[in-house]
Amino acid sequence: MFAYIVRRVLQMIPTLFGVMLLVFVLFNVFGGDPSLVLAGKHLTAESLANIRAQLGLDKSQSAQFLIFVKQVLTLDFGTSWSTQQPVSDIIGSRIGPSLLLTGSMLVVDLLIAIPLAATVAYFRRGLTDRIVTICCTIAMSVSALVYIIAGQYWLAYKFGWFPVSGWSASAWHNLWYYVPLPMLMGLMVSLGPDIRFYRSFFIEELGNDYVRTARAKGLSERVVMLKHVLRNALIPVVTTVMMSLPYLLIGALVLETFFSIPGMGNAVVLAVNNSDFPIIKAITVYIALATMVFNLLADLIYKLIDPRVQLT
Amino acid sequence: MRLRALALMAMLTAACAASALAAPDPDKVLHSSFNAPETGYDPAKTSDVYSHGVMENIFEPLLTYDYVARPAKLIPLIATSMPEISADRLTYTFHIQKGIYFADDPVFKGKKRELTAADVVYGLKRLADPATGSPSNYLVLGHFVGVDELAEKAKNGKFDYDAPCEGIKALDRYTLQLKLKTLYPALLYVLAMPHTSPVSREVMEAYGQNSLAHPVGTGPYILKEWKPGVKTTLVYNPNFRHVVFDFHPTPGDKAGEEVAREMNGKTMPQIGRIEVQIFTEEQPMWLAFKSGQLDELYSIPQPLLRGVLNMDPKNPRRAALKAEYRKAGLKISRVLDPEMTYWDFNMQDPVLGGFSKEKIALRRAIAMSFDTDQTIRDIRRNNAVRMLYTIPEGVVGHNPNFRYQYEYNRALSNALLDQFGYKIGPDGYRTTPDGKPISIDFVSDASAVGRQWNEYWQEALDSIHLRVTFRPVTFNDLLKAMRSCTYGMVGAAWIADYPDGENFVMLNYSKNIGAENTACYDSPRYDKLYLESQKLQDSPERNHLYDEMNKVMMEDTPWLPGETRFRNRMMQPRVLGDEVHPIFQVSWRFMDIQK
Amino acid sequence: MTSTVQAAPAMTGTPEVHRGFWALGWRRLKRDKVAMISLVVVGAFLALAVAGWFNIIGDGWRKEVAIPYAAPSWLMQSAEETLPPAEEDTTSAKSSAPIVTMTQAEDPIGKEVALARQNMGKYASVETPLRETLPFGADLRGRDVIVKTIKGTSTSVFVGIFGALFTLLLGTVLGAISGYFGGKVDDFLNWFYSVFTSVPDMLLLLSFAAVAGRGIKTIIIVMALTSWTGTYRLVRAEYLKLKNREFVQAASAIGASDARRIFVHILPNISHLLLVQFSLLTVSLIKYEAILSFLGFGVGVTQVSLGSMLAEAPAELVQGVWWQMVAVTIAMSLLVTAFSLLIDGLRDAFDPKANK
Repeated sequence: MFAYIVRRVLQMIPTLFGVMLLVFVLFNVFGGDPSLVLAGKHLTAESLANIRAQLGLDKSQSAQFLIFVKQVLTLDFGTSWSTQQPVSDIIGSRIGPSLLLTGSMLVVDLLIAIPLAATVAYFRRGLTDRIVTICCTIAMSVSALVYIIAGQYWLAYKFGWFPVSGWSASAWHNLWYYVPLPMLMGLMVSLGPDIRFYRSFFIEELGNDYVRTARAKGLSERVVMLKHVLRNALIPVVTTVMMSLPYLLIGALVLETFFSIPGMGNAVVLAVNNSDFPIIKAITVYIALATMVFNLLADLIYKLIDPRVQLT
Repeated sequence: MRLRALALMAMLTAACAASALAAPDPDKVLHSSFNAPETGYDPAKTSDVYSHGVMENIFEPLLTYDYVARPAKLIPLIATSMPEISADRLTYTFHIQKGIYFADDPVFKGKKRELTAADVVYGLKRLADPATGSPSNYLVLGHFVGVDELAEKAKNGKFDYDAPCEGIKALDRYTLQLKLKTLYPALLYVLAMPHTSPVSREVMEAYGQNSLAHPVGTGPYILKEWKPGVKTTLVYNPNFRHVVFDFHPTPGDKAGEEVAREMNGKTMPQIGRIEVQIFTEEQPMWLAFKSGQLDELYSIPQPLLRGVLNMDPKNPRRAALKAEYRKAGLKISRVLDPEMTYWDFNMQDPVLGGFSKEKIALRRAIAMSFDTDQTIRDIRRNNAVRMLYTIPEGVVGHNPNFRYQYEYNRALSNALLDQFGYKIGPDGYRTTPDGKPISIDFVSDASAVGRQWNEYWQEALDSIHLRVTFRPVTFNDLLKAMRSCTYGMVGAAWIADYPDGENFVMLNYSKNIGAENTACYDSPRYDKLYLESQKLQDSPERNHLYDEMNKVMMEDTPWLPGETRFRNRMMQPRVLGDEVHPIFQVSWRFMDIQK
Repeated sequence: MTSTVQAAPAMTGTPEVHRGFWALGWRRLKRDKVAMISLVVVGAFLALAVAGWFNIIGDGWRKEVAIPYAAPSWLMQSAEETLPPAEEDTTSAKSSAPIVTMTQAEDPIGKEVALARQNMGKYASVETPLRETLPFGADLRGRDVIVKTIKGTSTSVFVGIFGALFTLLLGTVLGAISGYFGGKVDDFLNWFYSVFTSVPDMLLLLSFAAVAGRGIKTIIIVMALTSWTGTYRLVRAEYLKLKNREFVQAASAIGASDARRIFVHILPNISHLLLVQFSLLTVSLIKYEAILSFLGFGVGVTQVSLGSMLAEAPAELVQGVWWQMVAVTIAMSLLVTAFSLLIDGLRDAFDPKANK
């Protein structure tokens, strides 16, 4: 077990290197030149050169990459190019709102999707199953943009059930006042595919021989469903959720834009538009690290729940 | 005596600082909005309008504008009066008001820090310091005696702020002297820009690179919280001196009279806390305003104009709120911005550039094929007037009787191209007179609005059989193309830094290629007229030169003039004293709000 | 060498079995009413896409036929509020100074313009009157929303299908090579895979689009580059499983080349998975295109897609112009729902395990 973890952690090094290389090539080599925007509307060649020197853009590509490597090793990405704030401060202040939104969305999603998926799987091929499946399919067919645009217009503005947009300093206030509407819009988008996805796990479990055996032994349906099927079907659910966790960090871009939520999605778009490379580098590296760590955790949990799984 | 004279001409009466300070009600909160993210709050380092707007409330330059006088009029702010100017107009002497204090900051270690002439000197020199990397360095470089030399020396080391400098110096604690190398007609306007505000050297040195987040000024507000690109919160500055509003609008100016009625006699500032939210999407911004979450809308988003305003389709100047909003008590302040938009032809482009007759004809044909009235109606929603002079209305030097306009006539465009031998090939597109294919490299910004403009241009160029390729790029790349003269056509805009024609006619000076001269226009005729105009103050002689410059441009056709837009600020009924000023971005410090 | 292999009797076995598998699946599918209806709807959309692509229908979408934002004809119109007539304008009294402008003599091409003015008759154009209403309204430029939606649907389907094809191609080739060869090749491609999955899609998307410019080509490339990883994992796993099966071993015994084994022997056995994967990708890419267009990476000026239409929706809805958004939503929902239901049918028909 320990050896396995060590090996997996070592494997992360080349992956991280690859991620760094990719981001560097995309933004530093092909990306836009931030100095032009920073130089303002009356620019001279001299002030431009001056700004480039301050940003370190006048150094060779390899020297710039070495700086990047050093930043990753120390996890200190310096300051933003456009606002000159420490990158850690920016990410620190942005990550909370994103997590609050996407995290609460995930919890509610699971609370609704898993019981519903289990129920319809149990009655599979029945009327309930058909109706739920088709409803999910139709809900999935509407673009997320339409939900957000129309939802904000009618639910918040016309009916006044929710605030149109905004964010406060208090997490609790945000949670019961500002989060519900964007969360609802997010759920409209995510519930459909999730219910269908989890349903397929349950159907697969229900089709297994042990279910038949358990029923034959005369165990009650309740026991069969709760003790055996639910437990086993939850294994893939848990691992999928684990693997999706890193994406919570990056937030929901379109939701954040429309509801003025000061999250990571907004920060990323702002950074790309401004060619704010330190922010882009930091976010990418953090997300990549989180992805790899959570993948490992997912595998370990898998092993914990189901001892039959061989770790290779 | 001086005080009385001031009260007559100025909007503010500065009384003795020792008198009791009436603090504004901290529960009076103004919720305002911006349409795009700001950069930060260091007067030397930022140049966008939104940062500018916030800094107007934190920093105070030597001079400022009267809030209600139209056209915009300069008045002293931290100076006791307008400067004493020597006969050769090369030496300016300012007296700084005594008893002005900076806002408290940990750097001052609990002591009150008085503003002195040395702070003004530091603020100006800081613009020239290469280490600051100021986009506003052009305001000081090349103008003041000895400053360029200091900046040159600082290239390979540190800027020596303590070295004697004849051009910018403090004569005593409260007296400042500026010495110019050559005439600088725009100087007084420059000294009213927030960029030239005094800053405290201790503060700047203490916060070093992070000065954008630590603005410490003498203005009525201080920065409480800043979430870049999301939210900025200001609270009133308890150290702010006692100032009572005393506005004297021109008789007949209804908006100004209302401001005077609502605000005169109150102390500055009235609002305890200002929260500014950034909205990049129009729908949420409008919905938030309409539902009362916002007190003030920076500007009505373009697509909404028709739904909000009743406009006279024949006269864009006439507009009023729709009954629905009028009944709700919403208010609007609408002025023409001191700006203009125009289409640049790249004069160095192999396809479109050059001064030969056939190239002029090609550009002229393109200019005549585009229906500016249609785009004003459809895209601008009638919220703009045609730009007919290279200096917009409200800016000194504007000539309302000039017509810088090419007639819209596609048949004539086609005939003109035929005349010069741009034949239509078998594929339906024209070639050059010597038979080479033509393709116009049209650079545009990648937004939805950019796309709309492209649709109109596609149609116009199709109608005269010219092939066009659109190149939608990010803002960075757009600037890069414009400044390196590597494009065919592009849309550009310019808003006044200060209300003097000089700020506009320099856009076509050949030495500004690579910077403001985005058409890459290099005309000796124009340059000669421009240099002559530089020597003159506002006068009929200068206006005559401006007319000649406009004619030269019209002949050479490096531009297709576009339009000048209105700014429509909207407010809730509870907001008082809010009026759009042509130069100020925001009016928060002059306003009040009913709880 | 190739011809002898083709002649080898041992080889005919697999494809034969395979044909039977497809026939069986088709028979199962035909029993599924929902799937068959969906198939018809999807077929209709595909026909529309092809027709639109060859400009048989929807060609005139750029024609301005009505006033800006003309309402649907069946909608009750309320009278437009107007300003009171202008009062005598006293404030901006016209100055008596004469108008100044460039004269013909000053104009370097003044003579030529005057000459051209005499010849402009042949370019005279006729103005067609604009309609006040349209069956389903008009957009800002007075273009018919129905025609625009048809053309937009065509583009979106095209983008979805080609995007899915390229994604599938990229994922399948890399996955097949990785799974089949294993060892160093597998390690390298796996590294490549983990790099791409570790970088957030949004960053990849924003940066690729910034580099590659705009247009349909870019959208398809961006889609392929950001969505290939799922297919890669699926195909790699299948190849790992199948490469040791008897029929592959048999093929290698008679000397079939690696390429032949990969594409001729193993690939047909996972083709049903690829079909489902392809449909899934098409659906998600059609929706993806909407988001891309909203972020400003959409199609060019001379093209229209459902996404580029939806990108106009926020600005329209606040003005009470809802018809374009509704038209797009209907078209997209119908297409995506039918496609998704068809996929369910295909899964049931070709995956015997789920068919219990």
